[in-house]
Amino acid sequence: MTLHHYLILAAVLFCVGLMGAFTRRNAIVVLFSVEIMLNAANLNFIAFWRYSENPALLHGPLFTLFAIAVAAAEVAVGLALVIAVYRHFKTVDLESMDTLREE
Amino acid sequence: MSLDLIRDILIATVPLLVIFPTLFAFTTWLERKALARIQNRVGPNKVGVPLTRYGGRFSLFGLGQPLADGIKMLFKENIVPRDADRLFHLLAPILALIPAMLVLCFLPLEFPWTESLLPVQAFLLDGAVIFFFAITGLNTLAIFMAGWASRNKYSLLGGMRAIAQMISYEIPLVLSAVVVVMMVGSLNAAEIANAQADWNWFVFTPWGLAAFVIFFIASLAEINRSPFDLPEAESEIIAGYFTEYSGFKFALFFLGEYIAMFAISGLAVTLFLGGGAGPGVAALPWLSTVWFIAKIFALIAVMIWLRGTLPRLRVDQLMGFAWKFLLPLSILNIIVAGFAWHAQQQASGILKAIIWVACLLILYATAKGLDQLNRPNVRPREYKYAE
Amino acid sequence: MSEQIAFWMLSAIAVLGALVAVRKRNLIHGVFALMIFFAALSGLFLLLLAEFIAAVQILVYIGAVGILLLFAIMLTERVTGDDGRRMTSRGWFWGLVVAAAVFVILLLPAIQELPPPEAAQAIDPSVKELGHKLMNPYVVTLEVLALLLTAALIGAVTAAQGVRIPKEEDSSE
Repeated sequence: MTLHHYLILAAVLFCVGLMGAFTRRNAIVVLFSVEIMLNAANLNFIAFWRYSENPALLHGPLFTLFAIAVAAAEVAVGLALVIAVYRHFKTVDLESMDTLREE
Repeated sequence: MSLDLIRDILIATVPLLVIFPTLFAFTTWLERKALARIQNRVGPNKVGVPLTRYGGRFSLFGLGQPLADGIKMLFKENIVPRDADRLFHLLAPILALIPAMLVLCFLPLEFPWTESLLPVQAFLLDGAVIFFFAITGLNTLAIFMAGWASRNKYSLLGGMRAIAQMISYEIPLVLSAVVVVMMVGSLNAAEIANAQADWNWFVFTPWGLAAFVIFFIASLAEINRSPFDLPEAESEIIAGYFTEYSGFKFALFFLGEYIAMFAISGLAVTLFLGGGAGPGVAALPWLSTVWFIAKIFALIAVMIWLRGTLPRLRVDQLMGFAWKFLLPLSILNIIVAGFAWHAQQQASGILKAIIWVACLLILYATAKGLDQLNRPNVRPREYKYAE
Repeated sequence: MSEQIAFWMLSAIAVLGALVAVRKRNLIHGVFALMIFFAALSGLFLLLLAEFIAAVQILVYIGAVGILLLFAIMLTERVTGDDGRRMTSRGWFWGLVVAAAVFVILLLPAIQELPPPEAAQAIDPSVKELGHKLMNPYVVTLEVLALLLTAALIGAVTAAQGVRIPKEEDSSE
């Protein structure tokens, strides 16, 4: 296995997440997609670390650890917002939340 | 090379998959018998050797009962509700069993024939303890899956209760393990067990004792044992998440629950009760396995005793106990343990004893204070409309 | 050899899990597919010898984020998803095109431009070293992260709690 295998896998996963974020209208599914993209990025960090010249510095795992913590915070706040929005609009459909649009 | 690796892995794991289900069968018998004695009954005493002519004649204290139960479960009809999600209904019991079986390999259980297999032993992983907690958490998902897939109100309620309970109690569980990890300076299960050789068990220190009690209570909640068996409270929600399960799927849930019980008791033994340490281990190394399993059974005996003795908690009591009592106490325990560790590095002799007593007093006073704070404000009932 | 088999299996599971997670109409099935994706990724981390990250991945993503998603779905949606509403967004076609374009135009050439790969060095990853690193050069980051998590906790609770409507207004409506 080489670095390129992992990078291409991460790129594929990132694009799957991107596709999900663009094509679904459920706010929770969009959150799934964001998580998939974040995880693809984490995979990149770890792969670059593993094939780097100086893995003893542990930059990859440390950055991934921070990224995971930030992602957890993001999910918590994101889902709280989804629930708040649901309480207001009675739906989590992103396209029916268009009250700022000019008629 | 690859074949050797596979053979080593099989030798390391297959004994776990044989020994623990066998112990499960024995434990069900033990539990029924002990509960019966607590309730002034006799318990199972008829079944001897099933499927033979001697079934009824030599009863052997009913030791054949687990086998008879197993055969009964196998031949029962498998009923799936019409509206259920068939795939998830099938997957849930399997998913409940897998994590429980998986975490067994993170226990530092060394069998005499596995000494040459050190490279494949999972408990020598650098993060064995954190892997244990991570994989135990998967059990929650299986329970939610079962509750949701059954399409039954009571199942769903049981599943949601289970999730809320397990998430709440996972925090004190992990925080109390942190004390030990901090003291040893390693997440490696074997190193933690080795650090407690020569009777330096963590349960004999004030912070270790507090952590052990918190860990034991939280682990009772984590595996849905009485008095924390609200997710399967039969007087309120029938049988909770496995209401709609019958036959072998039900047996799988049952097996998963007991294996999880062994696993979490095994972790308690590793963290606080010295792992396989005990008298005679230095002379006969295989005794460590025996001691390990004996300690697990000591903990399980306490669990059975509690089940026979304590009534079930209410939901608000359950949550309040986790968040208002166990969580502050375990956080304080970490701080106390940190101070004690630093003080012990410098002090010696009489100072050490003073530190011990001080730690004990602080922890006891905090527990007492938290208890007083959380007392419900109950007064004698005042009758308004009646004399 | 065994590493290659593991890599291909895990990556197939990861891609399939991600695809099912974003395309499944039934959201609960979607969450479980997402968890399979997380688990496969954790396996890939193990393959790259990042044990601790693999454990944290399971602990945080499957144990916490997954459960949170399940709760959010149970609180908001009719979960069976068989109510025949439209699932895809209005510009789904352009979304697909952009995603494919990002892959073909942005990511692939960037990966191909990398220098030819060198063999991975033998490393002995230890959780202890990671802990020391967190305490010595990165302690400020760690503290900021703790602050962020606390802020996120409070923020999430306030956002999800919503505005309490006083009782007078309630009765007048």
